Amino acid sequence: MKLDPSFIWTAFLQILSAIPTTLYITIVSVLAGFIIGLAVALIRIYRIPVLYPLAVGYVTFIRGTPMLTHLLLIYFGLPMLIDGLAVQFGWSFRSVSIPMIGFAYISFSITAGAYMSEVVRSGLLAVDRGQMEAAHAVGMTTPQALRRIVFPQALAASLPNLSNSVIGMLHGSTLAFTVSVVDINAKAQIVASTNWKFFEAYLAAALIFWALTFLIERATSLLEKRINLYNRGGVL
Amino acid sequence: MGAPFDFSFIITYLPKLLTTLNTTLLIVICSLLAGIVVGFVVALPRLYQIPVLKTFAEIYISFFRGTPILIQLFLFYYGLPELMKLVHVDMTRTPVLVFVILTYGLHTGAFMSEMIRASVKAVDRGQVEAAYATGMTAYQAFSRIVLPQALAVAVPVFSNLVIALLKDTSLAFTLGVMEMTGKAQTLASLSQHFIETYIALALIYLVISYTIERLLLVAEHRLLRHEAQPSPGTQTFTLLKNGSYRQIIAHMGSSKGGGGL
Repeated sequence: MKLDPSFIWTAFLQILSAIPTTLYITIVSVLAGFIIGLAVALIRIYRIPVLYPLAVGYVTFIRGTPMLTHLLLIYFGLPMLIDGLAVQFGWSFRSVSIPMIGFAYISFSITAGAYMSEVVRSGLLAVDRGQMEAAHAVGMTTPQALRRIVFPQALAASLPNLSNSVIGMLHGSTLAFTVSVVDINAKAQIVASTNWKFFEAYLAAALIFWALTFLIERATSLLEKRINLYNRGGVL
Repeated sequence: MGAPFDFSFIITYLPKLLTTLNTTLLIVICSLLAGIVVGFVVALPRLYQIPVLKTFAEIYISFFRGTPILIQLFLFYYGLPELMKLVHVDMTRTPVLVFVILTYGLHTGAFMSEMIRASVKAVDRGQVEAAYATGMTAYQAFSRIVLPQALAVAVPVFSNLVIALLKDTSLAFTLGVMEMTGKAQTLASLSQHFIETYIALALIYLVISYTIERLLLVAEHRLLRHEAQPSPGTQTFTLLKNGSYRQIIAHMGSSKGGGGL
């Protein structure tokens, strides 16, 4: 093996084709994760009886175990569950018809959900309780107060964490190669092993990830400026 | 796919997986120590605004925070021997574990340096000035006034970093290291009892990260003794606000990029 700097560019061009897959996984898991996270956070904040311990257990379990184990558990567990139910209820649907990327979507959404719930929760808790009381005092209902007063402020407070989560999921999507999804990492592996130039291929992949992360960070900081417009400090 | 679910496999595989726990912990501890050293070295140029070194530190941090650890692992595993060949050092006999620890060490180092910088900066500048005013030297002011406060701010972040590192070690199997995940995959494919094995694996990770979290929470409470809230009547509003504000910041800024793997 000899270092071949020009191959970095060749690999770079080949790996570019896998960017959409990585972005799909990231976007799907972040969006689905946000919905799960919002539900879990609200359950935890309002301490809804039966759901509360379940939500706590879910967050603890997911945050305490590696993302890889979630993926493996879903990949091997879900087909068993689906096929078992299918036999019992006579469905024609079988787990074989789930595309590989489906497992990545489901598993990463579940992972993102737990982390997102913490982001949402800390964002909501960062909003002063008095804001809610003031909204009630002027006659808003709780859903109105949440939507008009609390959520916009919570969003502004949790934007940096949100951006971290998105970057975390982007980086986490590299695990999809374990279920044979060809994302940036898997593509780099293919390019590396077919040309026997590992270092160059992974360097190209690293550069792509670096650029994507940088773009996400830039975009968030722009958004942060926009969303914090209301926050010009107090009267004093 | 696989054999039917059999609960007893979880129990039989727990001790088998635990035998590889020391490899996992070895990776965690070694890279943690390396990470703390690297973190300090990298944080100092940024704290003291040293011209050229500061830029290097920033690029280093940006790279290690901006690329997935999995890519870094491969990059080091395949790249380092080739780079070393240029200076005529043969790395073909180096154990894989060295590459793993090196990568995790440098990866954690980037996050550690951010943690160190943030927690030193979280201590009010006025504290240092007050220390100078009472006649302390710069070193005394740092070790007696700034460090204890910064340490308390850093603990929650540190706790998250250690847990993230623990979970990241699950990727070492990609280079063929027989740590817990690698062992689990071998056991699973031998017996075809995949889910049972991975449940056992998840349980072990869960117990370890829970233990780490509890231990560091105790440490945090101990370090924050000086901020223990006195009885409500004597507490002025501003003080209370400052204390809670700092804690919120420490907790919020602590995530290592949600996925954390």
